[in-house]
Amino acid sequence: MPKGYINDMGAVSLEQTSEQLLGKGMKKLIVNFADVQFINTIGLSIFTGMVQKTLDHNSRLCFTNMKKVHRDVFEMVGLIKHVKIFKDEADALIFFKGKE
Amino acid sequence: MSFSALQDREFFDKQDELASLFGRVIQADKGLAQSAVLSGPRGIGKTELLKQLFGQLFWRQNRVVPFYYSVNPALLSAPAFSRDYLIRFLCHRLAFQKKEQALLHDDGMTIDELSLLAEDQDAAWAKQLLDRYVQNAGSPLDALRVAINAPRQSALATGMPVAVLIDEFQRLKDLHVEGTPDPRLASLFEGPLASGKTPHLITGNATEIQEMSVSRDLERIPVQPLGAEGASSKALALLSAEGAEGAVPHLLVRHLGGNPFYLSCVVRSACGKKHPDDKDFWNAYVREIMQGTLSLSWSAAMKTFFPGMEGRRTALAVTRKIYHTAEPLSCQRIAKSFSLTDSRAGETVQALYLAGFIRGEFGVFRAVDDRVLRDTIECLYMREILGKSPHDQEQYFLEKLLPRKEHAVRFDITLPMVRESELVAAQCLEQIGKNLRLNEDTIGQMQIAVIETCINAMEHSKGMGNAIYVSVAVEGNRLEASIESAGPEFIVQETGEPVVDRDAAKAAGRGWGIKLMKRFADEVKFERTPRGTRTVLIKNLGTSAGVQKEDTANRE
Repeated sequence: MPKGYINDMGAVSLEQTSEQLLGKGMKKLIVNFADVQFINTIGLSIFTGMVQKTLDHNSRLCFTNMKKVHRDVFEMVGLIKHVKIFKDEADALIFFKGKE
Repeated sequence: MSFSALQDREFFDKQDELASLFGRVIQADKGLAQSAVLSGPRGIGKTELLKQLFGQLFWRQNRVVPFYYSVNPALLSAPAFSRDYLIRFLCHRLAFQKKEQALLHDDGMTIDELSLLAEDQDAAWAKQLLDRYVQNAGSPLDALRVAINAPRQSALATGMPVAVLIDEFQRLKDLHVEGTPDPRLASLFEGPLASGKTPHLITGNATEIQEMSVSRDLERIPVQPLGAEGASSKALALLSAEGAEGAVPHLLVRHLGGNPFYLSCVVRSACGKKHPDDKDFWNAYVREIMQGTLSLSWSAAMKTFFPGMEGRRTALAVTRKIYHTAEPLSCQRIAKSFSLTDSRAGETVQALYLAGFIRGEFGVFRAVDDRVLRDTIECLYMREILGKSPHDQEQYFLEKLLPRKEHAVRFDITLPMVRESELVAAQCLEQIGKNLRLNEDTIGQMQIAVIETCINAMEHSKGMGNAIYVSVAVEGNRLEASIESAGPEFIVQETGEPVVDRDAAKAAGRGWGIKLMKRFADEVKFERTPRGTRTVLIKNLGTSAGVQKEDTANRE
């Protein structure tokens, strides 16, 4: 669950965590944006890499609790089509359960 | 020219600039000083800065001789100019020797009287200069050469460097030998300008000076407008000098843009009352732009560049059109709008540009930032083109300006160029949004845009400055955030858009920054400023840029 300002530092730790999880064979990842205050384009580019790696691992990525503005940002760079967006984690979990 | 006021008058908010110029020219005693152009818009205080510098150099040190000269438009024939320039230089040079202030003001000195004075002061070098001038008087060009080189000759002969301070330098493009202005004559200054022993600080109409080949490559030193504190102090001093008491409304001070000339005009006009209140100051402002000193000053500039009535009317209409059009206009578009030939449109915008009425960048023309000038032009247009009565003009401006003071809010923040300082601007925006009960999504969008702009400003300043200046203003239905920083390479000439560092963009996704700004702000402007570059983000409150710009984003 990323927090605060998603810039290079914030996003790199998120990227490392996701790499570890993907490396362990996890196929379903949820990123909860509830505590994300701001995202800049450097953070955004790292997210792009993260989405790419998830696709490479044939895994599924869900974003939850996004503010409208953050959703707009991801939409602008075309990431939205590669992830599923849900209101909260519960909805994302229901989605994943339905996929099992 | 009178220097008497210089020692007495207080000089607000300019001490750092003055100290910097003083330090610069004093390098002449090591032969290392470089010439430069003091640049800035009309009324910003370039002349005053030069006069203050003269005063300090004259009274507070003995290493570098100061020479101040303001080019007189009535003395532009080579013989008249060279005689006047030489006499004034020698007066200042000899006055400095014994700090004889009276000699600075002796406007009627003749060559013979100066020769006698030089003998009295055992200044053989001065006598030789005068003799050389007299010998060459029959050849205007040679006499001009002697006069222009006099400071350098004196420095060589005496070992005492000379700081040459020339005001209204652009007038020298009209120097002539036989009645027809010959811009090449000003190039005789090339040698003296290049000498480390005779640094020249020149000023005048910055745009025209920029166009002169002799000064084109000189370093430009921008004269900064008064800050809020400096403007308030100056206003208080002006009120006190007029025996009045009061406080200029903060919004009016801001409207005047830190221009000392504008401030003086308005305060003096308001001092018809001993205790002027806010409305009195705004009324004084409207009087000034309609018929006061301020209006006369700009009207005179218009008449100088457009002596004929018909040309002036066209120029006025073109200027107003540029002021009222959001995007910059090309010459072709102006020609089409006013049914002018391309060459006539070209001449008109070129003259408007040189006079400082419009800005010209990348082959297009746009409005200046100066709100007072824009109001003055509006006034002239209403009077001369629309034939509106003074009463109608007054009503228009009072209605336009007075409501603004009731609803406008502005915050100025200076951010150090340190990691994540952009968050301070973003948080500030959030608090402003809360205070003014603005839509959260709107504020969220502007926060993202401001963060990107601040990061851009830091990247492009390339170590040239140590601060970012952020202003957030809410006026009526409009939120405006401007982010300004140092940095010369921010804008691509062809497009008027900021430079994108391709390698950095590839590495870290920075190429998206501009797209984000444009996506979340309704309007994004990139401007060159004396400090460097400024990005202005404008959001129309009550609209949803996210929805409005959906198509644009998809296209991108």
